[in-house]
Amino acid sequence: MWKPKVWVTALIILFITAGCSDSESSTDGGSGDDTSKTLTLWHIETGESEVAIEDAVKRFEENHEGVNVEVVRQENDPYKTKLSVAMGGGTPPDVFHSWGGGWLEKFVEAGQVKDLSDDIDPEQFLPAALSPAEFEGKNYGAPLAMDIVPVWYNKGMFEKFGLEEPETYEELIEIIETLKSNDIVPFSLANQSKWPGSFYYMYFAERFGGPDLFNEAYKREGRGFDDEAYVKAGEKIRELAEMGAFPDGFNGMNFDTGQSRQLLYAEQAGMIIQGNWMLGTTRNDMPEFEEKLGFFLFPAMEGGQGSKKDIVGGVSPVYSVAEKSENKELATELVKELTSKATAQQLANTDGAISAVKDIEYDDEYVQEISNVLEEAEYMQTFYDQTLPPELAEVHLDTTQALFGLSKTPEEAAKEVEEKAKEVLE
Amino acid sequence: MENNAKKWNVEQGDDRGSSKVYPPPAPVRVDQTKKKRKKQDFWVIVGFLGPALLIYGLYVIYSIAMTFYYSLFEWSGIDTHMVFAGLQNYITLIGDHVFWTSLQNNFLLVAASLLTQLPLGLIMALLLFSPIKGMRFFRSIYFMPFLMSTVAIGILFIYIYDGNFGIVNQILGQLGLESWQRGWLGNEETAIWAVIATVCWQFAPFYMILFRAAIVGIPEELYEAAEMDGASSRKKFLKITLPLLIPTIITSSILSIIGALKYFDLIYVMTDGGPNNSTELMATYMYEQTFTNFNMGYGSSISFSMFIIALFVTLIIIVFDQKRKGAN
Repeated sequence: MWKPKVWVTALIILFITAGCSDSESSTDGGSGDDTSKTLTLWHIETGESEVAIEDAVKRFEENHEGVNVEVVRQENDPYKTKLSVAMGGGTPPDVFHSWGGGWLEKFVEAGQVKDLSDDIDPEQFLPAALSPAEFEGKNYGAPLAMDIVPVWYNKGMFEKFGLEEPETYEELIEIIETLKSNDIVPFSLANQSKWPGSFYYMYFAERFGGPDLFNEAYKREGRGFDDEAYVKAGEKIRELAEMGAFPDGFNGMNFDTGQSRQLLYAEQAGMIIQGNWMLGTTRNDMPEFEEKLGFFLFPAMEGGQGSKKDIVGGVSPVYSVAEKSENKELATELVKELTSKATAQQLANTDGAISAVKDIEYDDEYVQEISNVLEEAEYMQTFYDQTLPPELAEVHLDTTQALFGLSKTPEEAAKEVEEKAKEVLE
Repeated sequence: MENNAKKWNVEQGDDRGSSKVYPPPAPVRVDQTKKKRKKQDFWVIVGFLGPALLIYGLYVIYSIAMTFYYSLFEWSGIDTHMVFAGLQNYITLIGDHVFWTSLQNNFLLVAASLLTQLPLGLIMALLLFSPIKGMRFFRSIYFMPFLMSTVAIGILFIYIYDGNFGIVNQILGQLGLESWQRGWLGNEETAIWAVIATVCWQFAPFYMILFRAAIVGIPEELYEAAEMDGASSRKKFLKITLPLLIPTIITSSILSIIGALKYFDLIYVMTDGGPNNSTELMATYMYEQTFTNFNMGYGSSISFSMFIIALFVTLIIIVFDQKRKGAN
């Protein structure tokens, strides 16, 4: 028997009760919010640096009664997409990680990042560390640490084969040949993520074209991304790939899952070009390998304009506040704590990070050494993929991966980047 | 006999009784009640379908419409500022060789799915009916890949295909096939095949379950009759099992084709479309454009094209199926 009135009434009652219970629960939540506020922090630190971040958060929570910080650690490679989804969806974390550069600028242009110019004291930081988060004279992020990219090698292995740290590129080639003839993979490389291969391209290009090359191409003044130096850099990468300097299938190996590091730890590979986070990562992955880990700087090329003292590096992490945050003032306070001297000092002591904050003392000899390198550096080339706008960065990464895979000629790769640069930058 | 007769009588009596209670109403009244009934039915139908329709409309119809709308703009997706670009995104798309590579890969995946997943599923389903000891064990084992999370499978296979420590290369080495060893996911020629093999490994069990259910539904009498006529087991398979499985095979094909056209997850985990876009699918390329390169407008145009392509392919299959039914 159908009694529609009964059914409709039942449905209406159902909806109303559902609605009621909903509004009840939300008022419950509301009263709870008054006494405690929650901030969300997204970071990508692992190992010791994650501990430093957590300690900073603890200090912040102690100083701010009733404020609760939800710390979310994101994985490195998917992080960028995750944040852009959150920003686009209007639910960004209050405080978030970045590397400054073109990627952060994209969010700044979209009005998603709070201007921190009045909140942070520029005197507290190294000038080189602040600049990646400065756009049109305003500051949008506070830096905590800096990275440089040396060539890491296995000291024990070099000793065994009678090898020494190379001064010239020819000596590096000799090392590669010696290792090859002993069935050792010269350079471990996990290039599925594309950025590890980009280090080679940046170094070769800088060594050939000198420190001004990138800025000229980026600012569209003078040489472009199709300059001879870039073509030569592509040729050198092809040469290395053709002589088998990298492990089999390196373009499909993933840095995040540890595939390149494993080769190094298993002593099947002799060297790796990676950021100084290698040190913290090794201490986490395989602490006993640390004593074998040495580093040297990428040698200069004969006839090139760049010197061995020019170094590829970047700033990471930079912490910024989302414009849409409900507690912007508190979030700014959290950024200050995250980039305080105490946090920086702890990070330097335990993780081997070079501080972006001034007046830090290093008791770790490695870090002291790396810090010296940075101080002596004549020029720091910031990472292309973080400095360039994302669209162009992607083309740079894709073409570089193709160079390694021998599926694009150096001329093609350089031309492709230059064309995109014309479209995006001009 | 006696019992049956009694029952018959009782039923007849009941029938007569009911017709007395409800005498046939006048013709005009019938029309009115019918109308009223229709109205009542309408509200009941709305009551039941309405909520589902609302959700479907919001999350499917509206989303597809919005995708098309966004595809007409040049828009970063995080900005409030949108620039109307007309069909420019589609024009760019036609000239974009990466899109064509990804489309080609999608069709490669469609072909591989049809030609390996379905036969493999059928073979496994048939195996499960053979009198082997420990059948329950095999059934669980065969079904396992489908129960595993895709990300776990992806990471597992990254290690399996690893050029230096991977089990594939170890086995090839043991077999004396050193020249075949390579970094499977890192070479442009092999990467797509390595991923396709993994996809097939994951989904074949799903079709196994579909076929198994269909085979269970075939009446035993048919086989008995065939046996009496002296049919061999091969004949039984070709003349009974296979023809009666046709509807299941068609459904499976549609599922598999649409699934392959929309495929995303394992590629994203294992290769992220690389090296050099050689394993890019339409969905991964759309993701890259939308969320990595901040091209929401362009990403939407890829997405909408995917929808059109999938719709077109489905229509073709349906037309074919109708024709087949007509011929029968």
